[in-house]
Amino acid sequence: MQNGLAIEFRDASFGLPGSPEMVRGLTLAIPRGEMLILLGRSGSGKTTSLKLINRLLTPTGGEVRVENRATTEWDEIKLRRGIGYVIQEAGLFPHFTIERNIALVPKIEGWDGDKIRARVTELMGLVGLSAEVAKRYPRALSGGQRQRVGVARALAADPPILLMDEPFAALDPITRAELQKEFLQLQQRLRKTVVFVTHDFREALLLADRIALMDSGKLVALHTPKEFLESNNQFVRAYREAFSNDFVADLKAQRRKEVV
Amino acid sequence: MNFWHFMVHNRRQVLDLTGEHLWLVGASIFLAVLVGIPLGILVTRVPRLNKVVLGSANIIQTIPSLALFGFLLPAPWIGERADRLAILALMLYALLPLIRNTYTGIRGVDPAVVEAGRGMGMTDRQLLFQVELPLALGVILAGIRVATVLCVGLATIAAAIGAGGLGEFIFRGLSMVNNDVILAGAVPAALLAILADWSLGWLERRLSPQ
Amino acid sequence: MSLRPVCCTLILLLLFPGCASSRKDRVVVGCKNFTEQLILGEIIAQQLEAKTHLEVDRRFYLAGTFIAHQAIVGGRVDIYPEYTGTSLTAVLKHQPGGDRQQVYDAVRNGYLQKFHLDLGPPFGFNDTFAIEIRGADARQLSLKTISQAAAYTPKWRAGFGYEFMERPDGYKGLVQAYGLRFAEDPRIMDLGLLTRALKDRQVDLIAGNTTDGLIPALDLFVLEDDRHYFPPYEAVPVIRKETLDLHPEIGPALKELAGCISDAEMQALNYSVDGQHRDVEVVAREFLQKKGLVR
Repeated sequence: MQNGLAIEFRDASFGLPGSPEMVRGLTLAIPRGEMLILLGRSGSGKTTSLKLINRLLTPTGGEVRVENRATTEWDEIKLRRGIGYVIQEAGLFPHFTIERNIALVPKIEGWDGDKIRARVTELMGLVGLSAEVAKRYPRALSGGQRQRVGVARALAADPPILLMDEPFAALDPITRAELQKEFLQLQQRLRKTVVFVTHDFREALLLADRIALMDSGKLVALHTPKEFLESNNQFVRAYREAFSNDFVADLKAQRRKEVV
Repeated sequence: MNFWHFMVHNRRQVLDLTGEHLWLVGASIFLAVLVGIPLGILVTRVPRLNKVVLGSANIIQTIPSLALFGFLLPAPWIGERADRLAILALMLYALLPLIRNTYTGIRGVDPAVVEAGRGMGMTDRQLLFQVELPLALGVILAGIRVATVLCVGLATIAAAIGAGGLGEFIFRGLSMVNNDVILAGAVPAALLAILADWSLGWLERRLSPQ
Repeated sequence: MSLRPVCCTLILLLLFPGCASSRKDRVVVGCKNFTEQLILGEIIAQQLEAKTHLEVDRRFYLAGTFIAHQAIVGGRVDIYPEYTGTSLTAVLKHQPGGDRQQVYDAVRNGYLQKFHLDLGPPFGFNDTFAIEIRGADARQLSLKTISQAAAYTPKWRAGFGYEFMERPDGYKGLVQAYGLRFAEDPRIMDLGLLTRALKDRQVDLIAGNTTDGLIPALDLFVLEDDRHYFPPYEAVPVIRKETLDLHPEIGPALKELAGCISDAEMQALNYSVDGQHRDVEVVAREFLQKKGLVR
């Protein structure tokens, strides 16, 4: 009964006792292979929503379904090993070499040593890391290189789903642009289901198949980038106006080129 | 120096007492590590135990050592053998630095690292042994170092209740009003403490990640 | 991987004491921290050095019965001199009572059973409480026992130490056992001052130790405890059974010391060290030579 939905939010809510809810009644369906951007300002509930997917948080209301099963029904370890997770600070293990970092999930899944080595080599090529980096430690790498490792690590066990929480936000603009471009190309090849959290409008327009705009814990708009640029939704407009108009026009042009 | 002459002349006894001292310290640190590190880990997993566990260890620390030896003397089995009693008492004193350092060491691990590990599907056990403990090792070793130096010092007092060790030279020397004998206990004890501090400090630096 | 060096170091530290004391050919003789004990300890040590091939280490000046007992039970000391009465009440925690032989047997059995310690034969003297009067008075009134003296005490003043007054087997029991009465309440003073006070006629009767070196020196007389009120405190060597099994030659060496020190002889030895300030080693050697035990 494959209904083509990788992830589904069904009226999902999350709140801590005594505080206002961080996610309220979120209903959202993400088909396989889609790159969905969760866009919004700080405190809009986007990171919380992301964490509901790999059960770092469990919904206090409604449910979240992954591969057509509620997250609460999944064994949480199995669930998480099937989902790649990339965070802003990368979170690489400082006491592991790069190759050991990348090999993390395959190793705990008990893959054969040769298979792991081959996969690490493959991934390093995929994310644009030179082979000699493999034996180094994270502290010897630049921010951009570290995030590439983060992506490689997330992809190591070839999970169908990738969750990314503002992965490029801590990088300088040039490196960020570089990584965005490369990741877009990677995604076009691999066609993973990606849920990508960002507050950066431009990044959203560049990467998304669809953009889900959140405000105060609620989903207020769900559009393709093209629709986003033209929408008259008050929240969308407010977001657009926060960025200069010329800039948006340039982006419009760029997006059109890429679609072709 | 008369005292040096005494040491050389009685080197067998000096070695004997040093050996006894090391046994007291070694056994109590070993036990404290066995009990304290798991307790420290437990407190990171069950935060509400923080007050009880750290609070108790704190209280034990404030009891003057000779008084603690005195409390334990009437206890069955423990109180029958002075060295057994001393080892238990020393272990109790070593607990606070061990529990506390294990706790702060683990809590001090970069939360991003822990979150990444958990998010990728590491079990709590895998996180503990592959990530948290290795990264906390430096701090934990600092705790062991502090505890060891503490125990080397406290073990000299244990001689007052008959547990042997270098403190016995000190007490005997006092009885004999003989400085050489006192120094034969005090100097090696001080050297032991310094040696322990230095060597464990070296180990700490070696095993600390980055 | 990174925990291995830590474990190795810790294990090495724990093994060190094992290599430090290879106890094959040596014994450790201990004793407590007063003169009589030091003399006995030295006598035992020199006797063992002369009669066996063992090396002898001395661990003297142990600060009391508890410490000495812990040392021998813990294997840090192999042999040390103790008093049967002390062993009975302070170590085995039994009620005092019985004559010399009974106490000795009770202590020996208790020690063997509970602590795997054996007793050598007694040295021959009894260091217990001594009721002392001036030698002149003893000769004048032909007094030998406490019972005889009881007739005269209503005219006398007594002096005792604090401990003797407090102990249940001290003053109270003595007065009851002999029906003693004194002219007035006893004077309580420091042990060290009692003998002086007796000599200077400030008091007429005191309780001291039977082996006190000053007794012959100041011409004092010890009244016989004819009703056997005071428990026996016979001096005996206590030895670890393990040590005796390992080195059976110690047995005969200790046997030679059996009964070789009388009360009077112990008094004289104590006086040599305390009163005449002679060296304990020299005093012990001279004694052993006199007894024909060493050259």
